[in-house]
Amino acid sequence: MDIVFALIKIVIAVAVLLFMVTYLVYFERKISAWIQDRIGPNRVGWGGLLQSPADVLKLFFKEDIVPRAANKFVHSLAPVISLTIAFITYTVIPIGNDIQLFGYNIKLVVADVDAGILFILAFTSIGVYGITLSGWGSNNKYSLLGGLRSSAQMISYELSMGISVVGVLMLAGSLKISDIINYQSGWMWNAILQPIGFITFVVAAFAETNRLPFDLPEAEPELVGGYHTEYSSLKFAMFFLAEYANMIVASALISALYLGGWNLPFVHDLGLNPTLTILFQITTYFIKILCVLFFFIWVRWSIPRFRYDQLMSLGWKVMLPLSLINLIWVAFLIYVFKI
Amino acid sequence: MPIVTINDQKFEFDSGETIIQVAERNGIDIPHYCWHPRLSVSGNCRMCLVEVEKMPKLVIACSTLAMDGMVVHVNSLKAIAGREHVMEFLLINHPLDCPICDEAGECKLQDYAYAHGTGESRFIEQKNQKPKRVKLGPYVMFDAERCIACSLCIRFSAEIAKEDQFTFVQRGDRVTIETFPGKEFDNPYSLNVVDICPVGALTNRDFRFKARVWDMSDTKSICPGCSRGCNIDIWVRNNEILRLTPRFNEAVNDYWMCDHGRINCFKFVNADDRIDSPMIKKAGTHVSSVGWDEAISKTVSTIKRFKSDEIAVIGSPFAIVEDNYLLAKFARQVLHTKNIDFIKHINPADQDDILIREDKTPNSLGAKLAGISPRNGGLNFEQIMEGIKGKKIRCLILIEDDVAAISQDFLDSLSNLDSFIVFATNNNKSTELADIIFPSATYAEKNGTFVNFQGRIQRIRPAVMTIDLDRSLDAMSLSRLDKFGTEFDRWGKARKINARSTWRIILQIANSFSMKFNYETSEDIFLEISQTIKEFDGLDYELIGELGIQLKSYQLVEEPILV
Amino acid sequence: MSVVKKRRKDLTIFQKLYIPEIVKGMLLTFKHLFGPKFTRQYPEVRYEQPDSYRGRPVLVQENGKERCVACGLCSRVCPALAIEVQAVETEDEKERYPNLFEINMLRCIFCGFCEEVCPEEAIIMSKDYELTFTKYEDAIFGKDKLLVPVESLKGRIEFLRKYR
Repeated sequence: MDIVFALIKIVIAVAVLLFMVTYLVYFERKISAWIQDRIGPNRVGWGGLLQSPADVLKLFFKEDIVPRAANKFVHSLAPVISLTIAFITYTVIPIGNDIQLFGYNIKLVVADVDAGILFILAFTSIGVYGITLSGWGSNNKYSLLGGLRSSAQMISYELSMGISVVGVLMLAGSLKISDIINYQSGWMWNAILQPIGFITFVVAAFAETNRLPFDLPEAEPELVGGYHTEYSSLKFAMFFLAEYANMIVASALISALYLGGWNLPFVHDLGLNPTLTILFQITTYFIKILCVLFFFIWVRWSIPRFRYDQLMSLGWKVMLPLSLINLIWVAFLIYVFKI
Repeated sequence: MPIVTINDQKFEFDSGETIIQVAERNGIDIPHYCWHPRLSVSGNCRMCLVEVEKMPKLVIACSTLAMDGMVVHVNSLKAIAGREHVMEFLLINHPLDCPICDEAGECKLQDYAYAHGTGESRFIEQKNQKPKRVKLGPYVMFDAERCIACSLCIRFSAEIAKEDQFTFVQRGDRVTIETFPGKEFDNPYSLNVVDICPVGALTNRDFRFKARVWDMSDTKSICPGCSRGCNIDIWVRNNEILRLTPRFNEAVNDYWMCDHGRINCFKFVNADDRIDSPMIKKAGTHVSSVGWDEAISKTVSTIKRFKSDEIAVIGSPFAIVEDNYLLAKFARQVLHTKNIDFIKHINPADQDDILIREDKTPNSLGAKLAGISPRNGGLNFEQIMEGIKGKKIRCLILIEDDVAAISQDFLDSLSNLDSFIVFATNNNKSTELADIIFPSATYAEKNGTFVNFQGRIQRIRPAVMTIDLDRSLDAMSLSRLDKFGTEFDRWGKARKINARSTWRIILQIANSFSMKFNYETSEDIFLEISQTIKEFDGLDYELIGELGIQLKSYQLVEEPILV
Repeated sequence: MSVVKKRRKDLTIFQKLYIPEIVKGMLLTFKHLFGPKFTRQYPEVRYEQPDSYRGRPVLVQENGKERCVACGLCSRVCPALAIEVQAVETEDEKERYPNLFEINMLRCIFCGFCEEVCPEEAIIMSKDYELTFTKYEDAIFGKDKLLVPVESLKGRIEFLRKYR
């Protein structure tokens, strides 16, 4: 029975994720248009709602071009790695507390891994292979530079990300994401308890997802298309989807680790029945994710890209010390307030 | 030696030379319209005004004799002002229709209006109306409005062509040119006046409005019209020859060429009757196009059927020295035949003591020197034709010539041949009878050399692309469009004939006989010629250069006329 | 080696953080989310070009004939080699006219040099900018597509006379 539930959950998760990715692209285009005093897509479907599906459809029918000098195997492997990793990390993120349905205790997570945080950190580190290999396998100088920048950037920011997460783990005393969320019930959000850690984590998340102002691996004005310069058709679509899937995972993580996940203060005071409470919580969680996503997009269309040396000095000289300071701060909190 | 000072430079001169001659000889440009180095001085355009110290007024350089101690200023303020006024007067009645005028781009009036004009006209009155589009003769069109009355054409006609056919009528601003009553401007050199006319008053009716001069490329070549071998420029646009103009060569043609050469010696290159691929006669009389390899292997198998004294070879005085040399070598080493000769095309009725020669081929001397003559009791041309009639010669190889057109007798006897192999540029009476036809490149499509009647060897260069030639890779001259065009442009899609230089075809046939002829270019053949034939000793293409070179050991021997 | 330039004024630590500036910028973009939009809905709402607009070049047709005398100056001046003109003789007062006038619209860069150089005011930049082709041959405009009656080009011709 567990397998059946697991399969159903996988199907739902993938469907929801793909749906969200598709419309995330649409929202990004709309928001960027509004910020620039434009209208944005409004031709395909009502208000342009079918624009993203149309784009995906178009990409399916495009010719797949592999450069003659490219390493064919690596060139094909790289987008698969990127997309798979983006989807796998999603498996360990819960969207709510356990729910009782038809006499079964259903966990609202695809795989309830005890070391969930480590799982995510490990897989996002593998994700960098997708980009690095695509850069190398394309046999193109722009792709290669994009890939190299990407690996250097990922390594630099993963460090501060990891150390920021340690602060969260110290407070929650668990690696399991649902435990961390439940620990933040009420107003005990980590964003409030450890603001420095929150900021370093958000910045590192931006860097890990290659979003502006850290999109140096793509850096259109300098590197043409960066690591995916030589990709077209479905392979390009895979990179594209992976980028937005990563964004969703990152916002889910930010809301889970720092914004209290599905916790909304005073929700228990309303006296709703357990199922409705959980639905309420799921909605809350999604709204939080959407807010973080909006923040992602908003930042992208407001702040210009860093120079490469600025990126590196920010990562090593600012973010790393700040996350260490956060660690000391959390230790101080635990020592003084015994929480 | 007396010394004249022009623009602060001192020059020696012979007494009797005018200022403009001394200046010209030393590379100082004095603007002029009516002066020409080969014509008498008329001094009517007044453009060559220069200031001479101690002379009260400006003088015209073309008719003022240089004198010892004379100090001439070409570009003094006074001289410049004088020329400006002359320009203004010339432009008073000259129509401003450069957009329509065919001379635009090579017009002296345009050039000098830029250099010496004031840039605007103060003349507000009605300009003179004169007849436009007057047909002076079969080739020359006259536009009286554009004429600046320099009289170059009249003097040319009288002094060089030696025929008075037209002159000025009226006076002042009504002056114009008319042919004498009952006469036409039809002497055989009439088109040279188009070249020397400084404006667009006289135009070539054959070339009128065909192309702008800046759209064409020009290639230095030799006219194939007669054994004079006039130096010419071939003007090409969109891979099509549009006109020929004479190129100055003091030793051969001076500044001139005849109308026959100018009008008739390029049209066959672009003609529709060009042979556009090798052809083989299959099943009776039907001739069909085949690939090069098939035609060559067919030729080899055909030739192998005959004994060597059944084969005759006819070279060509229209073909270049290299073609004829390789043909002779082919006959000697592959065919082992002694029956080799070429046809002479001599028309004693059509010659003069200006340029036109009785020998109507460009290279009969070169063909002879290259070894196209019967050896050791071989048959000459007439004996070959006898042999064909008597069925002793059964296979004939004919290069770039037309035997059948010479007489009905020849035409009839050619049907006695078992095999008739023709290399030709255009369809003619011989190709109609041929069993195998190879398309040869014309003189405008290949590198090579001609030897003219004086024994002067001169270069021809490719001006038109065949499918084997590439304009930029083969260092042909490029027009602006050629330089920047791509294969996708319409003008880059001009017709290219599937033809090869005759020597290249012979080379392939010879090597199919397992010979080891190894020539990449016609120059390779020429270098071998220069080592084996004493008349060409020590020559190469670079030495021949643009103006040709006299063969040193050559002595002119007049031969009896055969045909 | 890079040269380190000293700033005119040293920044305070607060300024070095850039955070106020970042917040300012983000607030600005946020404000624009709700601002008025300037998009023109193109195929329905069209752009009214001023007379100075340079669309595709056209040949002026006057009294049923082209003004062009095939002088070839446009072809000569064209930096992209888009224009090909070939002339023939006619019995009219102007002795020649183009029997072939082709503009390769794939090569044309709309610089307007042809219009500027034309001595007959015969080639004019029109306001037509909607040029799409599906075949290479379609992109080569012959006289059939280039000739436009002089009446419809009045605005541009007046502009040229006034400002050229």
